[in-house]
Amino acid sequence: MKVQEVMTPKVETIAPSNTAKEAARKMHDLHIGSLPVVDGDQLVGIITDRDICVRVTATGRDATMTRVKEVMGKAVETCFEDQDINDAAKRMIDHHIRRLVVLNRDNGISGFLSVDNIASKSHELASSILEATIPIH
Amino acid sequence: MKVQELMTTHVESIKPDLYLRAAARKMKELGVGALPVIDGDRVLGIITDRDLACFAIAMGHDLNSDPVSKVMTREVITCKADQDIDEAARIMIEHHIRRLLVLDNNKGVAGFFSVDDLVRGSRELAGAVLEAATPVH
Repeated sequence: MKVQEVMTPKVETIAPSNTAKEAARKMHDLHIGSLPVVDGDQLVGIITDRDICVRVTATGRDATMTRVKEVMGKAVETCFEDQDINDAAKRMIDHHIRRLVVLNRDNGISGFLSVDNIASKSHELASSILEATIPIH
Repeated sequence: MKVQELMTTHVESIKPDLYLRAAARKMKELGVGALPVIDGDRVLGIITDRDLACFAIAMGHDLNSDPVSKVMTREVITCKADQDIDEAARIMIEHHIRRLLVLDNNKGVAGFFSVDDLVRGSRELAGAVLEAATPVH
């Protein structure tokens, strides 16, 4: 089965020059926990609700002055939409993560693939991903 | 198998009058994503890293003076330490969540039970919880 058959398509993105407050607002309004950071059409990072909690709320930075690029994660793990879900799952396991940004073959963003998406097809594979990651309670 | 055999114990808690910034700092230091909010022995709510990003920042709360009680979730879904894990899994599935606060028989906090704990008891149930969970991409 291909990634594109189980992924969440239509991903919202944010620019590196947007503020942390704008990113938080977007995550709040859209009920999502992470946004790929895109400069033009290039994927440059990913920002999560936890990044904002530990790097903005906890630190005393001004969320209206702090740019997304200052607090985002720069290492983004990806997979391709036409890859097999077993390969994508293996990538999550190897990197101890639960989510991949899905790219098309032109390197454009086509979706998100999370352990939840994988659980809809294989509980066994999803469990292997859970066991490989470090839980944050 | 019982919840208490797999749950995470030694859960820290915070008081409802703690400022948002201090709560975020505590989560960062402890490496956790959720804390029960406790006044005396009474569980008032739960606060997550997502609350401290999406609500605290997005809604423009004053992080140095607004208390945890302003953004915490008051409706806490719980299970008991001596419940079977399949019952706990059913509660998670019904509520589309992946973590339960575990109470002891005196309604005190005994721990957290998450899908990460569950997977060590049943890969099948953990997969079912993920499949039912509301995705937060």
